[in-house]
Amino acid sequence: MAVPIIMPRQGQSVESCIITKWFRNKGDSVAKGDILLSYETDKAAFDIESPCDGTILEVCFSEGDEVPVLANIAVIGAAGEDFSPPAASGKTDKPVFDKTGNTAETVKKQEAQVVQVNDIGERKIRISPRAKRIAVDKGINFSLIAGSGPNGRIVAADMEKAIATPIVSAEKTQETHEYSDQPLSNVRKLIAKSMHASLQNSAQLTHHMSADVRKLLDTRSKIKKSVTTQDITLNDMICWCVIRALEEFPEANSHFLNDKIRTFNKVHLGIAVDTPRGLMVPVVKNASGMDIAELSKELKHIAESCRRGNIDPELIKSEAASFTVSNLGNYGVEMFTPVINLPQVAILGVCSVVNRPAVIDSNILAFIPCMGLSLTYDHRAIDGGPATLFLKEIKKQIEEFKF
Amino acid sequence: MPKNQNIDPQTVRKPGYIEFNRIPVNQYRKTIEDEKATFTPDDFIRIYHDMVVIREFETMLNLIKTTNEYSGITYNHPGPAHLSIGQEASAVGMAYNLDVDDYIFGSHRSHGEILAKGLSAIHRLDDNTLYDIMKNYFGGAALKVVEHGFSGSIKELAKRFLLYGALAEIFARANGFNKGLGGSMHAFFTPFGIYPNNAIVGGSADISTGAALYKKINRKPGIIVCNIGDASMGCGPVWEAICFASMDQYKTLWPEEYRGGLPIIFNFMNNLYGMGGQTMGETMGYGSLARVGAGINPEQMHAERIDGYNPLAVIDAFARKKQILLNSNGPALLDTLTYRISGHSPSDASSYRSKEEIEAWQREDSVISYGNELVAAAVASQSKLDDITHSIKDLLGLILGLAIDDTVSPRLNLATDPDCIGKMMFSNESIDRMDDRKPETLMPMDDNPRVKSLKNKERFWKDSEGKPVSKARQFQLRDGIFEAVIDRFYKDPALAAWGEENRDWGGAFAVYRGLTEALPYQRLFNSPISEGAIAGTAIGYGMCGGRVIAEIMYCDFLGRSGDEVFNQLPKWQAMSGNIIKMPVTLRVSVGSKYGAQHSQDWTALTAHIPGLKVVFPATPYDAKGLMNSALQGSDPVIFFESQRIYDIGEMFHEGGVPEGYYEIPIGEPDIKRHGSHITILTAGSALYTAMKASDILHDNYGLSAEIIDARSLVPFNYEPVIESVKKTGKIVLVSDASSRGSFLKEMSQVITELAFDWLDAPPVVVGSRNWITPAFEMEEYFFPQPSWIIDAIHEKIMPLEGYSVNAESFYSKTIRLNKEGI
Repeated sequence: MAVPIIMPRQGQSVESCIITKWFRNKGDSVAKGDILLSYETDKAAFDIESPCDGTILEVCFSEGDEVPVLANIAVIGAAGEDFSPPAASGKTDKPVFDKTGNTAETVKKQEAQVVQVNDIGERKIRISPRAKRIAVDKGINFSLIAGSGPNGRIVAADMEKAIATPIVSAEKTQETHEYSDQPLSNVRKLIAKSMHASLQNSAQLTHHMSADVRKLLDTRSKIKKSVTTQDITLNDMICWCVIRALEEFPEANSHFLNDKIRTFNKVHLGIAVDTPRGLMVPVVKNASGMDIAELSKELKHIAESCRRGNIDPELIKSEAASFTVSNLGNYGVEMFTPVINLPQVAILGVCSVVNRPAVIDSNILAFIPCMGLSLTYDHRAIDGGPATLFLKEIKKQIEEFKF
Repeated sequence: MPKNQNIDPQTVRKPGYIEFNRIPVNQYRKTIEDEKATFTPDDFIRIYHDMVVIREFETMLNLIKTTNEYSGITYNHPGPAHLSIGQEASAVGMAYNLDVDDYIFGSHRSHGEILAKGLSAIHRLDDNTLYDIMKNYFGGAALKVVEHGFSGSIKELAKRFLLYGALAEIFARANGFNKGLGGSMHAFFTPFGIYPNNAIVGGSADISTGAALYKKINRKPGIIVCNIGDASMGCGPVWEAICFASMDQYKTLWPEEYRGGLPIIFNFMNNLYGMGGQTMGETMGYGSLARVGAGINPEQMHAERIDGYNPLAVIDAFARKKQILLNSNGPALLDTLTYRISGHSPSDASSYRSKEEIEAWQREDSVISYGNELVAAAVASQSKLDDITHSIKDLLGLILGLAIDDTVSPRLNLATDPDCIGKMMFSNESIDRMDDRKPETLMPMDDNPRVKSLKNKERFWKDSEGKPVSKARQFQLRDGIFEAVIDRFYKDPALAAWGEENRDWGGAFAVYRGLTEALPYQRLFNSPISEGAIAGTAIGYGMCGGRVIAEIMYCDFLGRSGDEVFNQLPKWQAMSGNIIKMPVTLRVSVGSKYGAQHSQDWTALTAHIPGLKVVFPATPYDAKGLMNSALQGSDPVIFFESQRIYDIGEMFHEGGVPEGYYEIPIGEPDIKRHGSHITILTAGSALYTAMKASDILHDNYGLSAEIIDARSLVPFNYEPVIESVKKTGKIVLVSDASSRGSFLKEMSQVITELAFDWLDAPPVVVGSRNWITPAFEMEEYFFPQPSWIIDAIHEKIMPLEGYSVNAESFYSKTIRLNKEGI
């Protein structure tokens, strides 16, 4: 029995998703649990695993296609199996899984025809059960189709017509010898929109400071030598310090909500993660109460979820975090001006560790490892003085690291 | 209308008077002393014993109903208990002289009659036969219970068996005589000659008459006693039964060896009240019920009133009436005067009768006074009578304990076998003949003029050159029915047919033309205009082992046989626990042209009632094949025929209607025309309306309709319809029944459930208007026309290009008409 793979509905407002990658091709045999494809909504990216063992009999959409939710995107079954849906019983030819348009353009094009007023004055889409079944089988968004039945009911003939004249899919990548155009991914669109809004709608400025990380590095090497198998990263330790500092400066653990400032009792720490799809900022909820091992585990978990694409969409909303840490230390960045994820009021940029000359033990000049810290804050919510004191508190937590 | 009996105006116009004979009232005068020549002391005591058994049995039920206790055993019986305390002498006297082959039928108040007839049968049967009966009844299930630990005589064992079987039945236990499916008001046990009691007042009258017909037509030994109440004299079907039972033809027209009146006693157990209505004095006007006999026939039905409080008077009367019946002078009518001391039911507060009246009857209590007479006549000592009472009480305590023990006497387990009652609704047997003797006919079938004439008919509607055949040369639908019917008459000796104008006329629509020549009177005869009794007698005839075709001339007359068709015919197979079969085919002709009371398709009424098979063929091929199936089966079949198409030829079956025997299974629809765009399901003659609509769809809109003829309504195999709907996605259902509540509405609902995901539009029913049927000249505005089907498709299923309906939109029209109730 062939099993259809349906584009899941990731949240009530999601109407379509974009297939970002096919990991397997038509004809491949797959085992239950194998990742078949990745797709993304406007908010997050996800994977679809194979629900069963079998062979991919049909692939209905390609990478980059926008697919309405609940549409059939592939069929898995026994090799050679005839997976004709029941509607086609009696016909021997295999049904064609058409790619039918559901792009933003087609929505606009067809909107005018969609809603018909019936003779009892109701405005609703009428569709026969048969037509609806065809829509689901063939992955057609029936809300875009004008019905020819009584009172504008969408009937099977309308679906057949829609299948016979497929609407062109999303504009394909156009390439010339001079440049190439790539349509924006949904994640890209989101980042563009939110970052631009952040800079337009708040009063951001950045203070830079550096912290002596000798103790931090020393402690980390001790942890590494210790029996614990868990790898505690520098970033984990810095986040731990940031949480401690936030507990001292709750005004930085806040949202600026235009007419009020909401200060959180607990720290919900956002952490910027670079993924192939773009920047994502998952959150560790209730991070205040965690010991460093727990925190490290959670940070690792959410970062991996983002990279795998199966992060809970709720955890990547900017409203979910009360403060964000963005660490570019691994890339050699010595100083930067991170952009706040509104409505949060501040973000800490963590930079590379650089050896700086410093006077130690009264007269001895030495090079000591220092980590750059760049705190961007929203002057609407926090003034320069407290921001500086908060940054100093982070520096202090790092330099006097203990857990 | 026999041509050999001329009605001479000179004779019937002569002046004169109708003379009546005196009707005896309580003329039995003998004493115990007088009767000592007739009865042995044991007989006298047995009569007493049987009365006490009934008295105690009913008293036990009364106590259980009112106090939930008897002999220290507690039990709650929520079901009915219409008790006959006071009527014991009538019951025992009635049964005393009956043989096992004599059948009794009863009413809702018949516990006493069951026990009396059972005890009488036990007395008459030898031990081996008795034991075999008990051992073979439902695999000996009830016997095992009463035999456990018992070491007495077979007759004593049988008494236990009788009491246990009856009580378990009343308590709805699977070991009851009818698996607990009959209950108090319907319990019966055919091996002892106890046929169904009936919860419908007077319901047994026409069924009993049918049983008497069975005895007579098949020359079986035994008489029938129809025990019904005095108030049933007010019921139409009782009068119909009495008229049916006293037709002149039995004594004038039937062949010599069958000549004579029906062997039936209408025994009115006259307890003077119909529930709370006082028949003598309030709700009837006959003064004495026995008077009615005088109005029925010159023999006055040998009517008399007898003293039902004196068992010996009742025994005497039954002995005399039975002899009259055996002399072929039936039927007889007895007004057995008795009194019900107990209430109509335990909830009866006796608000309609005085304490003084009850006490006066109690002072003359039949059990006590008969006992006193036995003691006075030195037949038995009081202590011996007391011993009898005590031992019966002890026995009933024991039987009650067994009957209410859920481990010994469980009910049918509907939890583990949810369909166990469903499986008993039909017997679904295939039986060539109901008896083995040679069928009585008047000529070889091949000599029959109609059979000969049919050999020259064209059995397909077009001849070999493709030209439509003239009506005169056409083998028609009525011929298809005829061929099946006459074939069965020559196969099954127990087959009989009756109805209005069935003989000589050949039925109002010539279906039976030619049968009169083929069959002796007792196998085909005209009934009175008594649709209730036509159906009711068929039920009794079928129930006793015969096979019958009864005819209701117009479907509109079905209302006259409402109780028989709705309450009796469908119920008895399951209510008997599948002990009896019901091979009854009721032909019902659906009219047209004759206005509001002769043109209605009431298939839905019958199809609604569980327990009936309902067919409605529309082609000669289907009519013959379905009639063959109906007549081969063991179940009641309502066989609808449309008068519009009695003369239609076979248009569908390749090669025309086969000459030989073939069956079409009841319940299988038939695709009459293949198509791919829309399905049209039809019932009855609407097939031809749909064919015309299909032509329009094809010619004007390029659509091909798949036409399915339902042929049967119950049972019905939906699969071919669903397969078609899966293909087309659209279905219209058409019949000539008024659309509201038409059976097609049921079908469309089932189709919606089964094929919802394949439907491209709602199933649409096209039926007649919800009006009176107007005159023929206006019928096109009442019955579905091809254009109505096109309209319905255009408006509700798929708008047809260029088509328009010049009418109110269907939505507002549907709302409005329903609001108006039309």
